[in-house]
Amino acid sequence: MDKLIGHLDADCFYVSAERVRYRNLIGQAVGVLGNQGACVIAKSYELKALGIKTGQPIWEVVPACPEAIFIKRDFRWYEVLSRKMLEIVKRVSPEVEYYSIDEFFFDASHLVQTFEVDLPSSIIALQNCILAETGLPVSIGVSWSRTLAKLMSDANKPFGTMLLLDADEIKDFLKSQPVSEISGIGRRSAMKLAEIGIENCFDFTQANRQRIQRLLTVKGEALWYELNGEAVVPIQTQKAQNKRVSRGGSMGESTNDPVRLNAWLARNTERLVEALEQRRLVCERLVLCLEYKTGGGYLRSVKLPFATSGFSTIFSAAQMLLQSYRESNLVCGMHIEAELLSNRRQRQLSLFENETANRIKIDLNEKMGRFALRSGATLHLPEMYADVSHSYDICDVNGKTCF
Amino acid sequence: MCAGLAVNWRDIPDHLIEEFSLQNRVVSRNENEKEIRFLFRDPVAQLPVWVDDRLTIVEWGNRGNKESRLPKTGWCRNESLEAGKWNWLKPQPVIIPACYGLEKGVWFQIKEGMSGILVKDEKNIDHVYMLTTAASHYYEVMTRHGRMPVLLGEVI
Repeated sequence: MDKLIGHLDADCFYVSAERVRYRNLIGQAVGVLGNQGACVIAKSYELKALGIKTGQPIWEVVPACPEAIFIKRDFRWYEVLSRKMLEIVKRVSPEVEYYSIDEFFFDASHLVQTFEVDLPSSIIALQNCILAETGLPVSIGVSWSRTLAKLMSDANKPFGTMLLLDADEIKDFLKSQPVSEISGIGRRSAMKLAEIGIENCFDFTQANRQRIQRLLTVKGEALWYELNGEAVVPIQTQKAQNKRVSRGGSMGESTNDPVRLNAWLARNTERLVEALEQRRLVCERLVLCLEYKTGGGYLRSVKLPFATSGFSTIFSAAQMLLQSYRESNLVCGMHIEAELLSNRRQRQLSLFENETANRIKIDLNEKMGRFALRSGATLHLPEMYADVSHSYDICDVNGKTCF
Repeated sequence: MCAGLAVNWRDIPDHLIEEFSLQNRVVSRNENEKEIRFLFRDPVAQLPVWVDDRLTIVEWGNRGNKESRLPKTGWCRNESLEAGKWNWLKPQPVIIPACYGLEKGVWFQIKEGMSGILVKDEKNIDHVYMLTTAASHYYEVMTRHGRMPVLLGEVI
């Protein structure tokens, strides 16, 4: 028998994670807010039922639901529960992909053996096991490919399961699913498909494969195989090496103050250097991206003098990239990207880099806590460091394969 | 600031609900949970307070008594407390328990509670003032207010 692939997805994960520790939130309309306090980054089903969408600002949500309760996100806690879920899935499957903080793909072929019941019951047993051990409700789909499994778990939320192996049953299910529900088919791709009469997932499976490839590249072709029940995208148990590593994000209050921009640059560089260190990588190119409040932005890149993960070299390069920014534009977001990555062991040592200072900083922060020792330039962002929730972001959850 | 708060109904002993007629303050957001709300705009402004390991209900600041010498507000700025401006009232630090706070229509989760000070008026009656501090960026964006309560065990 071919391998069975499962997809497990926690239901409104951030809200469910908060409900694990704050039981009073169960059954309430809950919105998890991002660090800036402006947007709902996750919502309970009670809030969703009122038409609230992820990303909506709080000032739109409150009039629609005056009784909603808002809570600040806490990625450290969410990672604790995520790792617990991962442990449980690893107990029942030899191959597990840590796709994102709340989603896993796994080899479901061993569920029957593990739980000693039939396959549908064993899927429910896994669901109950996760609920009992972590307090988190999850939805699970099982089928012949990861795309089918994900489509099924998504269609059965919240706290549902679906197992479809029979070709006719899969066909009926695919007919009920709009093509936009496929993970990997965005709005633009869905529009392209609609133009040639492909509206639902079954239409997609019946389309000419080469035509799909021409329209949506090899990625679309892989989806075509997967929806036709042929698993062509394997379960990735190890994260593939990044092509780039990026750190940054929203800056909260927009600014064009050079001192504050330099402070943000130092903060994001420190986070980037830390991420490179964790992955044992060095980079040879640096990209700086600024987002303007009025729309548009600023993008500059520079080749570094040598492959490095050292703070001083990267920060100097980042400062140079910032020089040609025009101060008339208010900046609301900043990203620093490291590109042309290679393994640190493979690079030639540079005579120009002082590794000792970097090492001392890393070792001290490991012992004393993140950002305990940091660049003096960051002193101009006191609010960021006074608030511990700023010290840990979703991108700091390591090992996920999705980004 | 924080214009109101809610406490889980189960966390307030029955005898206090009876003694302070808190039944009128009981509200349900859903079928599962009941909470007791204390708002500064209530006909009688009160707050729950832990005083000497004992939970009780105390008048919230001084909202309308012009005769009293107590400051006519429900909040005390942490900065003015530290500057000694409240020393003449001999303030006693207390804990105000809460599971949710309310400001400008926004209900937000509170982990443990917030800090307050207890003072006595001319008739030796207790009054509690909620301590406030400059709002964090998060709080200010969320509630559109420049001051926030001094929360216990958390920074938001």
